[in-house]
Amino acid sequence: MLKIYFELNGEPMYVEIKPGEMLLDLLRRLGMKSVKEGCRTGECGACTVLLDGKPVRSCLTFAAKIKGHRVTTLEGLGSPANPHPLQEAFLETGAVQCGFCTPGMILVAYDLLSRNPDPTPEEVREAITGNLCRCTGYVKIVEAVLLAAKRRREGVWR
Amino acid sequence: MGIKRFHYARDVEEALSLLAAYEGRGALLAGGVDLARGLAPEVEGLIDVTTAGLAGISADGGGLRVGATTTLEAIRRSQEAQGYLGGFLAKVMGHVATLPLRNMATLGGAVVSAHPWADIPTALVALGAEAVWQNEELTEKASVEELYRRPFRAIFRRALLTEVRFPAWDGAFAFEKVARNAGDIALINCACGLGLDGEGKIAWARVAIGATPHRAKRLTAVEDFLTDEAPSEELWAEAAHKMKTEVEVGDDMRASAEWRRSAAAAIVRRALDRAAKGVTGDA
Repeated sequence: MLKIYFELNGEPMYVEIKPGEMLLDLLRRLGMKSVKEGCRTGECGACTVLLDGKPVRSCLTFAAKIKGHRVTTLEGLGSPANPHPLQEAFLETGAVQCGFCTPGMILVAYDLLSRNPDPTPEEVREAITGNLCRCTGYVKIVEAVLLAAKRRREGVWR
Repeated sequence: MGIKRFHYARDVEEALSLLAAYEGRGALLAGGVDLARGLAPEVEGLIDVTTAGLAGISADGGGLRVGATTTLEAIRRSQEAQGYLGGFLAKVMGHVATLPLRNMATLGGAVVSAHPWADIPTALVALGAEAVWQNEELTEKASVEELYRRPFRAIFRRALLTEVRFPAWDGAFAFEKVARNAGDIALINCACGLGLDGEGKIAWARVAIGATPHRAKRLTAVEDFLTDEAPSEELWAEAAHKMKTEVEVGDDMRASAEWRRSAAAAIVRRALDRAAKGVTGDA
């Protein structure tokens, strides 16, 4: 066993992990159920989290590698009582159906908007290239991200 | 068996000492994209080399030096890479996989994994990039093209790739890839470079093709055919025809040999045209 310190959604954490444990399994063990297991090969994007603010696949990241780093999951962005503007935009535009891809989608969208506050629809589509959705056909997801971007520019953000 | 220990290598020496001590039961870990998907059952110890201080990009005259654990996305966004050959290498990175994977995968990992369908080896072979590696006794270097002719998998069982050096070129390069969608692996890819002499004729040409479905190779017959000729649409068409007759292609689950032969010709024609426009500033 290995003990590591890291920051999870802004809170300090000190946990014991197995040397070969994947970040996906650690986060779910810690109750971060927004982090989904899809393909476990890095293809589907359902397990995406932010590592030091950048999207990565938690299914292919060894948990030991996050020692001393910052991890953000969807739980760190918003909650049912206090949803993040991106979550609100997804709900309002009907961008959520089964919801399995939604956490990963929102985290890559969050990364996109932090780098590019006024993306074109094409840039949104490019940003979500690595996140598969089998329900929506992506149209509503792109609309949701563009709506959130508009609100972000109007100052509705955190 | 499973992973019993995880090591954070503080430098190259520590990584190599640990690797030797494991006697085949240890694995060097960088981005982990390939390793986590295909971990050999005998591996007991993981040696993280991203903590060994090997990441970084620096301009080197007109060339570029990239540390082995630099991520693909860091290269794509780096000012130094954008200043090298009009951003050619940075643009190639944008063709590889998707952003979250590019935030993890490293240049060293791409060179060592050397997937036959991968885009980076094709660009590196065309560019004449040089790989630098260390084992417990010495530091060695060779062009990536030469490395792939050696038993490189055996070499990297006891060595660590530390850096990739990109030479200066007086000319321009272009990369082309055909894939089923933006994030997918190539059905065929190519990288072509051209330089012109004082009379506007082709002084040098570099033509590499990959995912044929074999690993990237240069087509020196096509390069020789182009050299000393004047750039023109007709010349690209003739070079494409030459490519069609010279390229070694095969079938796999993704595409047929016959399709690859036609596609190879088409993308080489496009890449040569774009490279020529890059040289003359018409791009």
